[in-house]
Amino acid sequence: MEQEQEMFNQRTDLSELSQAVEQIRTQLGKIIVGQTATIDLLIAGLLANGHLLLEGVPGVAKTLSAKLVAKSISATFSRIQFTPDLMPSDVLGTAVFSPKTAEFQFRQGPIFGNIILVDEINRAPAKTQSALFEAMEERQVTVDGNTYKMEEPFMVLATQNPIEQEGTYRLPEAQLDRFLFKIEIQYPSLEEEIEILTQQHQTDTLHQLEDIKPVLNVAQITALRATIKALHVEAKLLAYAAQIVNETRQNKALYLGASPRASLAIVNSAKAIAAMAGRDFVTPDDIVKVATPVLAHRVMLSPEKEMEGLTTADIIAQIIKKIEVPR
Amino acid sequence: MKNISKRFSVVLLLAAFLLLTSTLLAQKPKANAFKKVAKDTIALRLDSSKTKVRQFDGQAIERYKAEKEFQYGESDTQQLNWWERFWKNFWAWIDRLFGSDEAPKKSKSWPAFVKYGVIAIVVLGIIFVIFKLVGVDWKIFSKKSKEIEVPYDESLENIHEISFEDELLNATQSQNYRLAVRLLYLQTLKLLSDKELIDWEVNKTNAIYVKEFKQNGGNDVFANLTYQFEYVWYGDFPIDKSIFDMIQASFEQFKNQIK
Repeated sequence: MEQEQEMFNQRTDLSELSQAVEQIRTQLGKIIVGQTATIDLLIAGLLANGHLLLEGVPGVAKTLSAKLVAKSISATFSRIQFTPDLMPSDVLGTAVFSPKTAEFQFRQGPIFGNIILVDEINRAPAKTQSALFEAMEERQVTVDGNTYKMEEPFMVLATQNPIEQEGTYRLPEAQLDRFLFKIEIQYPSLEEEIEILTQQHQTDTLHQLEDIKPVLNVAQITALRATIKALHVEAKLLAYAAQIVNETRQNKALYLGASPRASLAIVNSAKAIAAMAGRDFVTPDDIVKVATPVLAHRVMLSPEKEMEGLTTADIIAQIIKKIEVPR
Repeated sequence: MKNISKRFSVVLLLAAFLLLTSTLLAQKPKANAFKKVAKDTIALRLDSSKTKVRQFDGQAIERYKAEKEFQYGESDTQQLNWWERFWKNFWAWIDRLFGSDEAPKKSKSWPAFVKYGVIAIVVLGIIFVIFKLVGVDWKIFSKKSKEIEVPYDESLENIHEISFEDELLNATQSQNYRLAVRLLYLQTLKLLSDKELIDWEVNKTNAIYVKEFKQNGGNDVFANLTYQFEYVWYGDFPIDKSIFDMIQASFEQFKNQIK
């Protein structure tokens, strides 16, 4: 392998990025046992400038994972607990009358921050969830005819329980489409669970969180994102990504296919995965790796397939198997 | 003021009383509402006439049985040859398959073109199975049947149809080293597929082949060759003759190991 590395000297300096990724992995690994794929997707989402939706049953460290990512970055952090009675103004902010100046002044809501943890996002009704639309896509908030720009980086890390759980609402498709990845956090394996118990039965997770130090600042993240944006993607691979997304629109097992935003999400996140692997170009493997987390939440199963017990991830896996890899 | 309200409430109570009692009176049935039935039984007359028992005419029954029009059930299978029996049983089976209770009668209702259509499908199916077993190349039936080794551009992905030696020569002569590396890699995939070290499918990624090769006892050399190919082909890294010679040497070395 050394010979190969000498043969192909890197065109892009990815050493800083590799170092940062390794540091974040180490930080997260201090508390989260296993879940390497989840951690990699969290980092890829951060580098690809996307919002992330973490789904899992209660107790699998969804909120903890999101908090750890936030703590690894030296940036402003807000947490919003979504509840059924939460109003859009509780998220965005509201105009308050100031007797001093005899004018209404806009008081910013918790959405104004760099890293926003929206905990249990599907416990709030669609009205409140739709308050996030503009902020997530356009990175701005419009209230009373005034537009307020969000500070960069702006990243929403949302957690949700599976839709079958009590007291949850299905997220609107428009909002689901705004999340780069839906990361499904699974139960740990037996060995991992034993390790969790061994590591944590005598320590408090809250104290452990205090030990997490930021490894990246806002300027570094912005620079890394710019580096990733400039990575090389062959035209055939762009066509490959487009073909996968297009197939979701033709597939009879799916009631709703993915949007062009999904194609862009695949390419951008594949670039982040490539950079994390130390490459300055994308391979088909990078695209395949991100296809399911990018697409699974953006498409909808047909009722028949839903009744058969299939998931959107199953259909996407079938689609990928059907499409010829450019080689 | 108090007196007025008291009077008003008394009047209200009186009105309520009257309304209630009138409703009760209205529900009371009239005296002649139900007439009694005078008599509820009727005496039956016994039929004492003689009963004449009629017998079936056995000859008539046999005569009718002999007539073809009255043979609703299956015809006598003894009179049919094996081919007719086969089709009779086949259609009866089809009818049972589609849930018809009148299998024998329905068997006559299938039109001839369906029958011959099914025969054609069965024959084609048998031919297909035989061809598959023999391993006939289906391409011989296509228009390009004479052109077994199709030109490189027309068969980008079917590694079993590329004439690697010729195409490699063309690529190196035209100094298209990037394409030459690609051909070397595809040739290696074909070799591994022929040796059953990987299961070649066009929709598999290189990482899957690397994994399969390792699972079949392979070493890291193929992973390194994949690395080289990916840097040249997907990474669009500039490649000159000296680098190509190095890459080609490593591919040749691997091929010799596999052979």
